[in-house]
Amino acid sequence: MSKACCLCALLCSLSLAACAPFSDRVVLLPGPDGRTGAVLVSADGEQKVLSEPYADVQVADGKVVLLKTSPGMVRDDYGALLAMQPARPRLFVVHFDAGTSVLTPASRTLLASMRAELATLPAGEAVVIGHTDRVGALEANDRLSLQRATLVRDMLLSAGIAPEAIAVVGRGERAPVVMTADEVAEARNRRVEIKLR
Amino acid sequence: MPAIARLACVLLVSAALLLSASSVEAAADTAPAGKVKRSEGSVTVDHAGQTQPLSVGSPLFVGDRIRTGSDGSVGVTLSDDTLLTAGPNSTLLINEFQFNTTTEEGSLLATLVKGTLSVVTGLIAKQAPENVRFKTPNVVLGVRGTEFIVETRGEGQ
Repeated sequence: MSKACCLCALLCSLSLAACAPFSDRVVLLPGPDGRTGAVLVSADGEQKVLSEPYADVQVADGKVVLLKTSPGMVRDDYGALLAMQPARPRLFVVHFDAGTSVLTPASRTLLASMRAELATLPAGEAVVIGHTDRVGALEANDRLSLQRATLVRDMLLSAGIAPEAIAVVGRGERAPVVMTADEVAEARNRRVEIKLR
Repeated sequence: MPAIARLACVLLVSAALLLSASSVEAAADTAPAGKVKRSEGSVTVDHAGQTQPLSVGSPLFVGDRIRTGSDGSVGVTLSDDTLLTAGPNSTLLINEFQFNTTTEEGSLLATLVKGTLSVVTGLIAKQAPENVRFKTPNVVLGVRGTEFIVETRGEGQ
């Protein structure tokens, strides 16, 4: 028996669950902002909650065991998998001069850079998302937000982005950046986001 | 050919025509659930009864079964920003996907039949995490907005 085998046998005797061949495994990872969500795993009538980063649930022989792994072990086991993950969506915001459909100078500069940014993404998509403030009815704001997004879509088309790479969304007054009461005019909420993914 | 056999034939043919017409219609008015962003090695999809190679830019639909070979892996972005990455020797089925871009409401159910899958949840999980579920043949995962890896060796393993 080689040294490695002895070591494995020793480790297995110390921690049976970790070495037993699992049928299923779930590993919880921290997000890029360091925050970790949670996953509820149900198997064989048992439930385990993963809520700590690197929590590791393994199912073997009808047992569901909660373990803990590490960044290094995740790299060893799943590094190649994680390297194939698509790019995380990135969000850019453009603003208009008050009461006009003219972009602010900063937003014009940003818009001009979108084509080059998009070209760095494989099968890149630009999702143009319009928003309003809370003045007016919900349905009217849905239409208005879509109009704003369409305006920016046309600018992206003029900047040379292919039409099939652009989608338009109107979120209306549902996602303000500044919380206000209904019917309050708020310039910061009247905006268009460009999501690249 | 006896009359009854002829009738049966006509009925069978018309049923087949009806079926194919309705499935074409369903395919035409269903928006893609997502798009392939990364692909390496052998990656195929079973779509509407046909197996096709899957490459960067290919759309994915509800009901699609993605398969990777021993040298294959694939990265997909769903339209709610969910990122799904499958490693080699994997089979992933998109059982259910609905997403309303205006309200950001929807639901997602996917089954990892075998292999490895990394998940970064998207907008549906932000709004209604209880509507996002993943399964393997042995395990059900409820998600609370998060990143995780699932590995399964398949049924009864």
